[in-house]
Amino acid sequence: MTTVVQRGLQYALLTMLALFCLVPFAWVALSAIDAQAGPTVSAPAFSLENFTRFFTNADTPRLLLNSLIISVAATALNLACGLLGGYALARFRFRGRSFFMFSILLIRVIPAPATIVALYLLMVRMNLDDSYLGLILVEAAAALPVTLWLLKGTIDAIPFELEEAAWMDGNTRLGALRRVVFPLLGPGLGAAAMLTFMAVWGDFLTPLVLLQSPDLYPLSIGLFRAFSAFNQVDWGVLAASAVIYMVPPAILYAVLRRHLLKSSLGGAIKG
Amino acid sequence: MTSVPAPVEPATRPGRPAPGRPGPRRRGLHGRGLIPLLLGPSVLLIVVFVVAPAVYGLYLSLTNTQLTGFAARDPQFVGLENFRTLLGSDDFLASLGRTGQFVLFSAIIGQTVLGMLAALLLRRTWLRGKGVFGAAILLPMVVPEVVAALTWASVLSSSEDGTFNRLIGLFGGAAAAPLQEWPMLSIVIVNIWRGIAFAMIMFQAALEDVPDELIEASRVDGASATQVFRYVTLPLIRGPIFLYLLLTTITTVGVFGLVYFLTQGGPGSATELTSIFIFQRAFQYSQIGLGSAASVILLALLMVLGLTYVRLTKVEV
Repeated sequence: MTTVVQRGLQYALLTMLALFCLVPFAWVALSAIDAQAGPTVSAPAFSLENFTRFFTNADTPRLLLNSLIISVAATALNLACGLLGGYALARFRFRGRSFFMFSILLIRVIPAPATIVALYLLMVRMNLDDSYLGLILVEAAAALPVTLWLLKGTIDAIPFELEEAAWMDGNTRLGALRRVVFPLLGPGLGAAAMLTFMAVWGDFLTPLVLLQSPDLYPLSIGLFRAFSAFNQVDWGVLAASAVIYMVPPAILYAVLRRHLLKSSLGGAIKG
Repeated sequence: MTSVPAPVEPATRPGRPAPGRPGPRRRGLHGRGLIPLLLGPSVLLIVVFVVAPAVYGLYLSLTNTQLTGFAARDPQFVGLENFRTLLGSDDFLASLGRTGQFVLFSAIIGQTVLGMLAALLLRRTWLRGKGVFGAAILLPMVVPEVVAALTWASVLSSSEDGTFNRLIGLFGGAAAAPLQEWPMLSIVIVNIWRGIAFAMIMFQAALEDVPDELIEASRVDGASATQVFRYVTLPLIRGPIFLYLLLTTITTVGVFGLVYFLTQGGPGSATELTSIFIFQRAFQYSQIGLGSAASVILLALLMVLGLTYVRLTKVEV
């Protein structure tokens, strides 16, 4: 009898915790499909009009496009650099290697707000502020420490003999890297790609500071601007944008979750 | 084969480097000449866009650089003036205090307790629907910062239809405007909500290493569930808990968007965390020098924590 009560209590606790986590999403979920959406939860008059309006408005599709351009380019650059660098860190012993690995680990400790001021001024001096290129470079660099650690660890686990065999068959070192190591990276590369993409996709502070032209705004800034325009908030489109904004990370997360949880990335997931 | 002692094995194949420890081998594109080519792009990106801003920020903190006005054209070196101003400024010290409160109540207490609770409950063998519960708790962590803030804007809305006010109404309470009346408590709760999942993942991993036999044995010996947790489980996962506390402290100090989106530091300066103080000084009052000095102080405080973190984890390179 006591076990039943105890189990019931524990179910109740867990349900409350789950509700606490889920209830805030009610507004976004319901308003996105509500033709008369307001700032608070109400029973929706079901329609997909908000999504249609998101894609037909003059400026909202641009936000999605900008987010995609920035995130995909930054992730690609990040992975390309991380793959080469991770390979060097895994396969060579050279002076300063440990120092480098520890230094980039320490970089993860620096919160973005603490360097954003100097970063902005530096970008202005380099004429890289208010541009795709500048933001892409910054985002790719910011996620590099985690990518380097991840890929270094993944390459460590790939037997060196496989590469040697490829050299014997006449491959150059880079050729072997491309033909043998790269196809074996699997989960490690997937995890690095997901972490980088989600970090860039969700970033708010860096684009807020670096971008001034509304033409370049990604979704995060677009949502913020739309939300802060007090008098003329289109709640329905705002909620629809939020849903659309959540789709790519949700897909990535669903696809890669297993790999991610398997490779004990505790420290790397957050942030 | 099995009788061959392991240490001899490398010698049986001359020239074969120990696993993961290849020596200098061939020249040119086969050997160490490749290192600069391989590592160069990463080093360049990190140095220019991560290290340089940190160093430049250190320099800026010693100047009176402004975004606009006279000082923008001709910034002067002012020594430690900015630091003196900040350490004598109630605004800045109060923002540090708020960040401290924010970290203590949301991360160190809220996320840790609820994350541990979730991790412990999800370990129950008789529990059904683990996947659903787990996914629900993970959701707040995986959505973008801006969406997280937006969901809470509607929950905490001052309108009578706000989710929070409706909930209060169910219990007969009067409608309130949480973000105006209890701004600090509101952002603490929002941040707890966002961080439970991370704590849960860290603690789940730690609990995996606690042998079930140990817990069963203590139960057989008559220990209550609380006693088992207090005297058996907790001492065994002290290390991971400590690591988690440091990680979450570091992350929570860097929280900006979640709070800025909801309150922009207000009302007044009730939710002006140090991260928001820096942003506003630098970009709204255009006092780059002062903002940089505040960043340097924040970084100095965090560096101490960061070094502890690396020490504690004892990472193998």
